[in-house]
Amino acid sequence: MIRANRWFTLTAAAALLVCSAPGQAPQQAPSSLSGVVRLNRAPVSNEILRVKFPRPSEARLKNGMSVMVLEDHRTPSFSMTILIRASSLQEPPELAGVVADATAYLLRQGTKTRDARQIAETLAELGGSLSASAGHRGVSVSISGLTDNLDELLELLADVLLNPAFPQSELDNLVRRQLSSLQAMRAQPAFLANERLYAILYPNDARKITAPSAEALKRLSRQHVVQYYNANYKPAGGMIGIAGDITLKEMLPRLEKLLGGWQGAPPPLPKLPLEPPIRERRVALIDRPNSVQTYLMVANRAIGRRDPDYIACTLLNQVLGSGPASRLFRNIREEKGYTYGISSGFSATWYYNDFGASTSVRTEVTEAALNEILKEFRDVRERLAPADELDGARRALVGSFARSLESTAGVLSRAMELKDYGLPADYWDRFPEQIMKLSPERVREAARKYVPVDNIQIVAVGDASKIREPLKKFGPVEEYSSEGKLLTGSR
Amino acid sequence: MRKFLFVMLACAAGVSTAQAPKPIPPVQFTDTRLDNGLRVILSEDHHAPVYAIFVAYGVGSKDERPGRTGFAHLFEHMMFKGSANVGPGEHFYLVFTNGGTMNGATSPDTTVYFEVLPKNQLDLGLFLESDRMRSLAVTQANLDNQRDTVKEERRQSVDNQAYGPSSERLPELAYDAFAYKHSVIGSMEDLSAATLEDVKEFFRTYYAPNNAVLALVGDFNSAEAMAKIKKYFGDIPRQPPPKPVDFSEPPQTAERRDRLEDKLARLARVSVAYKIPPGNHPDIEALNAMHIALASGESSRLYQRLVRESQVAVSVGGGVSERIGPGLYQLSVMVQAGRTPEEVEKLMYEEIARLQEEGITPKELLRARTAARRSAVSVRSSVLSRASSLASDAVRFNDPGRLNTIEQRRAAVTAEQVRETARKYLRPENRTVVVTVPAASPPGAPKPAAAKKN
Repeated sequence: MIRANRWFTLTAAAALLVCSAPGQAPQQAPSSLSGVVRLNRAPVSNEILRVKFPRPSEARLKNGMSVMVLEDHRTPSFSMTILIRASSLQEPPELAGVVADATAYLLRQGTKTRDARQIAETLAELGGSLSASAGHRGVSVSISGLTDNLDELLELLADVLLNPAFPQSELDNLVRRQLSSLQAMRAQPAFLANERLYAILYPNDARKITAPSAEALKRLSRQHVVQYYNANYKPAGGMIGIAGDITLKEMLPRLEKLLGGWQGAPPPLPKLPLEPPIRERRVALIDRPNSVQTYLMVANRAIGRRDPDYIACTLLNQVLGSGPASRLFRNIREEKGYTYGISSGFSATWYYNDFGASTSVRTEVTEAALNEILKEFRDVRERLAPADELDGARRALVGSFARSLESTAGVLSRAMELKDYGLPADYWDRFPEQIMKLSPERVREAARKYVPVDNIQIVAVGDASKIREPLKKFGPVEEYSSEGKLLTGSR
Repeated sequence: MRKFLFVMLACAAGVSTAQAPKPIPPVQFTDTRLDNGLRVILSEDHHAPVYAIFVAYGVGSKDERPGRTGFAHLFEHMMFKGSANVGPGEHFYLVFTNGGTMNGATSPDTTVYFEVLPKNQLDLGLFLESDRMRSLAVTQANLDNQRDTVKEERRQSVDNQAYGPSSERLPELAYDAFAYKHSVIGSMEDLSAATLEDVKEFFRTYYAPNNAVLALVGDFNSAEAMAKIKKYFGDIPRQPPPKPVDFSEPPQTAERRDRLEDKLARLARVSVAYKIPPGNHPDIEALNAMHIALASGESSRLYQRLVRESQVAVSVGGGVSERIGPGLYQLSVMVQAGRTPEEVEKLMYEEIARLQEEGITPKELLRARTAARRSAVSVRSSVLSRASSLASDAVRFNDPGRLNTIEQRRAAVTAEQVRETARKYLRPENRTVVVTVPAASPPGAPKPAAAKKN
């Protein structure tokens, strides 16, 4: 499931490439293999290539941060992420959706000795990119670039992280642009759908926030940002991951020198309940006049990352909605031609536990497309997946590990993820064997628990005058404006 | 204690040496032509147990005729609907269920297809690409089915998107020759008009081995791979070469301009395009260096002036298109709510005039060179990006090794050349401007928020 970014960058470049299949997730085949005719004449190696992920070298800084390094000496470049253990879900309620992101953004807009322009110019000259973002599990401050100028780039990173000036003028500028961007985002169907869906799935806390509100933006002061920084930007419990043309030996003394004086601990990470699925079916319609397509999201709550059903759900989703070999794609795009793309996914994390599917379909087939999605959801709950389809899904998942070895930064982020979830370091090495032994019954059981039908939550963004009536066939409809205001229906 | 000392020494050595930048190793490859004209580029790399196969055909929307816009891309979709030994949809199925990934893409100049697979599936990738080059299944059912999908793609990427129509309008206005005047996605009307005979003819003419380049990059043995390539592709017959495309553009003598109302847009947008020469023209590198200084990223002049200082804009973007025929240098600026496209244009042209007057600074030149060095690193990051670069540059510019000269080409650019290039191309009479404004709000919709704060 796609999560909306909270801060929006508007891009204005024309698309030059037109691709035939959106996304690139692995796949497999359904029971009847609708949408596919298999001639079985292509040469296929039956061996499934097993791989072992390289393990990063690890160390700990005196300020309590752990360090993981994965070497890759092919080109003179590196990437590094500092994860500070402060959650954006703990913002003061009146600044929710705003202050954590603003603080992260403003880090690179001025330090005690450099203004925003100097920072941007220095980065361009040194061949580096620096970004900071506030997430639910921590603030990420990342730098990547050429090792030609490693020391200069690290010094800049430390300056931005430890000596931010938070200039008033930069804050004003940010707020002004965000107010503008918010308007532009309200033109985008996916934004409107996400906003509504997360309000439905996580109604009681900050998880429902997918974008800053204009009110909170206007309320934000420099003092708020300074306070937020002082309370949250502390090293204890944090992680540093570095990949590239460097070694742990080279990096440790540099990191101690730059970050050793930084001390303290952020507030503990929040504990938020992962609620069970919502019981009643619900349809939310967001009116977007003049739409020629309906953007559909269907979802409900399912599992978190540490749930024992995680691996079964991974295989289930591979069958149902991951990529062009999946049932949803083969039926709704390849057979019916209703859409250019459709996929499903679990967003299983510490704080999010939803499962859902999303697609854009032409307005006239809104009802037909929803019926087909429901048909596939029912089918995966009722019928055991045929052996060859399940085998294809297993091969897709395990076989794709060979590709993921290509990116050293990707391998490192897998290792960091395991550490965050307290999973064993050999988790990914054992994953293939666990996938291979899952039975069709186990997959169906997962579907029955987590793929919603009677209690499906439907969000549709489109021209209400054309889709209001058909949507009523799926349940009571609440209607919203593109400003997010409830127009009709009961809540 | 010993270990500690060693660490200190290593550190000292690392810090004190201000050595010359490490060279980026060139990508080694072989470049061969089979008897049937298929150009084969092989590049071994044993870093990870994967390989990429990338087939680039010398056909794109530039080869379409009036009344058949969108056809090259529609055809690309047909390439996934089966061939003599691969059933409809089986291509997707085989690639993904064997741990691979794949896609295809159509641009004005080329149509490309690729798979990335574990190394033990080398035969699979070669078989799939050869079977469709040899024997594409051209049926009415497949055509109708993919026509629907492509129309949906058009709705999603153009008709249901803010700024979709203006993005099509810009090349339509800027170009005179049909080749680049129309969009890759094409019109609904032309998509409806495509016939089975069109598909057959297109396949015969353009999907011949002598009109294609195959690049294979990754974990294989080159001699074995070449033997397999000959086995799978060697007997596909060559065809007469397609007729050359007419790119000729009469010199532009006056500014071209249009203003579009967009019902889905909430902010105004200004797009400006200057006509520039083909991608292998010597001026292109100077234009790329100029773009870094003028409009690339937060250190650029337009970002600083329009977004930060005067706050008339929300974002600035753009780039140099490197085409077989004449390209465009495009700038696109999203206007801040409460400000006007006129204000944006005025400041843009002021900055361009300053560039033409003063040229760029030594630091801006350094940034342009550093950016090229980073591109050279990033193109090496995966077997797919290397295969894409090798094959596409072979098709477009007959220069597969272009990825090995990124740094040198940029390093040869001087500040004086950048100024001359800005004077030569960024002239008012050489530009096309498309301004998009939000259509009047429907009744009941809230007014755009005032942009004032404080």
